[in-house]
Amino acid sequence: MNYHYPAGTVRALLETDQVTKPTRQALTERLKASSDQPVFFSTEEFSLLQAVCDRLIPQNNQSERIDITGGIDKRLTENKSDGWRYDVMPADGDAYKLGLKGIDESAQLLFQQPFQNISAEQQDFILKAVQTRQAPGDTWQELAADRFFEELLAEAVSTYYSHPLAQEDIGYVGMADVPTWQRIGLNQLEDREPKSIGQGE
Amino acid sequence: MQTYSTTEIVDAIVIGTGAGGAPLLARLARAGLKVVALEAGKHWNPITDFATDEKEQEKLFWTDERLSAGNDPLPFGSNNSGTGVGGSTLHYTAYTPRAQPDDFQLRTDFGVGEDWPLGFDQIEPYYNEIEQFLGISGPSPYPWGPARKQKYALGPLPVNGAGQLMERGCKELGIKTSPAANAALSAGYYQEGVGHRPACANRGFCQAGCNIGAKASMDVTYIPLAVHFGAEIRSESFVTQLIKDSSGKISEVVYIQNGEEKRQRCRYVFLCAGTVETARLLLLNGLGNSSGQVGRNVMAHPGLQIWGEFDEDVRPYKGIPGAIISEDTHRPANADFAGGYLLQSIGVMPLTYMTQMARGRGLWGEELKQAARAYNHVAGINILGDCLPYAHNYLELSDEKDIRGLPKPRIYFTNGENEKRMTAHANKIMRDIWAAAGAKNVWAFPRNAHVIGTCRMGVNPDTAVVNPDGQSFDIPNLYISDNSTFPSALSVNPALTIMALALRTADRFLEQHK
Repeated sequence: MNYHYPAGTVRALLETDQVTKPTRQALTERLKASSDQPVFFSTEEFSLLQAVCDRLIPQNNQSERIDITGGIDKRLTENKSDGWRYDVMPADGDAYKLGLKGIDESAQLLFQQPFQNISAEQQDFILKAVQTRQAPGDTWQELAADRFFEELLAEAVSTYYSHPLAQEDIGYVGMADVPTWQRIGLNQLEDREPKSIGQGE
Repeated sequence: MQTYSTTEIVDAIVIGTGAGGAPLLARLARAGLKVVALEAGKHWNPITDFATDEKEQEKLFWTDERLSAGNDPLPFGSNNSGTGVGGSTLHYTAYTPRAQPDDFQLRTDFGVGEDWPLGFDQIEPYYNEIEQFLGISGPSPYPWGPARKQKYALGPLPVNGAGQLMERGCKELGIKTSPAANAALSAGYYQEGVGHRPACANRGFCQAGCNIGAKASMDVTYIPLAVHFGAEIRSESFVTQLIKDSSGKISEVVYIQNGEEKRQRCRYVFLCAGTVETARLLLLNGLGNSSGQVGRNVMAHPGLQIWGEFDEDVRPYKGIPGAIISEDTHRPANADFAGGYLLQSIGVMPLTYMTQMARGRGLWGEELKQAARAYNHVAGINILGDCLPYAHNYLELSDEKDIRGLPKPRIYFTNGENEKRMTAHANKIMRDIWAAAGAKNVWAFPRNAHVIGTCRMGVNPDTAVVNPDGQSFDIPNLYISDNSTFPSALSVNPALTIMALALRTADRFLEQHK
């Protein structure tokens, strides 16, 4: 099934007392965060990372773009970890820099151009090859391509779906928990839970 | 709160305030001992500090980096760890089934794994006590295991959509289900020394911290009780060294608080830092390891999840996540593996689901976004199964230093033949249940949960780190109380048994030191 949810739900709930103060603070800060210049990545790396993330999680609404790469740059600048790392991988920051280099290298080898100059279909071809460990290039001898892709995708997805606008897109309003949830069974909705609109196969 | 000076010799220092430390701390304090708990994390105030937001709540995870090796590398951070007063109970799901008697004698029954040096009869009285004290909500009678001597403190929590779907699918297949036991309150609850805690708000956020105290994490149960009886909780105190005196006993514990190195003198030390940090601290200090067993026997429960999309609105963020249980698979007939597992319905918070979908299904692009929009219609079912100890699964100190300048632990984990067979068995049953319940787009997320082992308990000093009372064979005034001492993994979630073992360790200690 294809589900679609109305825009504005989470933003409207944030204005109400159905959300606790710490929840409102966390989500409002994220909603209003500005996109900064990269600190950890070079300008070139950062723009390549943006191009990659645009394929991993396409964003069609240009006026309400969610900044994924800024979040990654911030974490690496602060040297924060999620608590573990695959032993086969280098430190997170090194893995990112090496992996980005590998993506450009694969694009050059296959399409004789940097990743950002090739078509969306060609970009997807490269990314799929990285994900399945079939991308060409010396870099991938040093770096486990599938693990790199998994880690990048997981962080991009986690950053994206933590944003209130992405949560509106999936119809999630779990943050509005002050009134408690009493209608919790199948097909039981509280008034504040949005229904899917225009669904169909 | 009572406080003690660092120059004073306190009776006991408890390192870590999770399920292994907090109950023991309260017990020792009640007996009149001068006790200080050293906790690496913060002392949170859930009402003002906890947001209903997974990203914000990442602060509850232990994020000093660990290295995951082996063929099935274990994730840490959001899986298997916690920091703050209350430890990993701050973000456990509150699922509190009892182990069954045969869980403690796997070797006797199957010829593999290990027996515990103590039986169910030694643990059962503590299960009763803890279930009443925490206010565990569950069904009476409970359909599996020996007849219970006492009903659960409260009736079961309401069943959410995922639970209803599991009931539907299991009914079709003739698998018995029941509302599960959960350490979250189905009604307001009062305990002397703790105060009043409100009923669960059904906000489904257990794994990211309960903000009202309905979930029985240690910070709202055994910790206030311990403080009531005179214990001191010293938070943001990261222990680095245990100092031995000339008699071979630990006389002093060194810790870092606010960037400053401090020392606390003591008569006894209870190490309750969890499987990874307990072993790391012993290895760092070269202590308690004459057996060579510190760091060995790492186990992690097979925890395969099966997800599916349903026509019905599920809204998986509502209700206690693990609403329904079945233990019909505790010892399945004609199984080609030792031990068994339980089945559990699961709700899920959105970020957890999306990142698992990224890692497990590898979805990206428009395909990912479409699958993500089905979030309100997804429900999961998973297992929690026994794991055998193997020589190839262990923890060591790596050459790499973490942000504190200490060697990062490297944890090797590879599922053995037994775990693979059990997982295959469970994969089929769960897919059948979900098919019978009407699931579409079914997918599997392989995982192992609850890292266990590294400081095995036993009766032989050559093969175990501590005796059945949790006492180190090498250092008489050092005790361990956490999941590191489990000789086998058990086929249930560990929290309740960790607490039971903690109270037993405290009682045995007090009996011997009257």
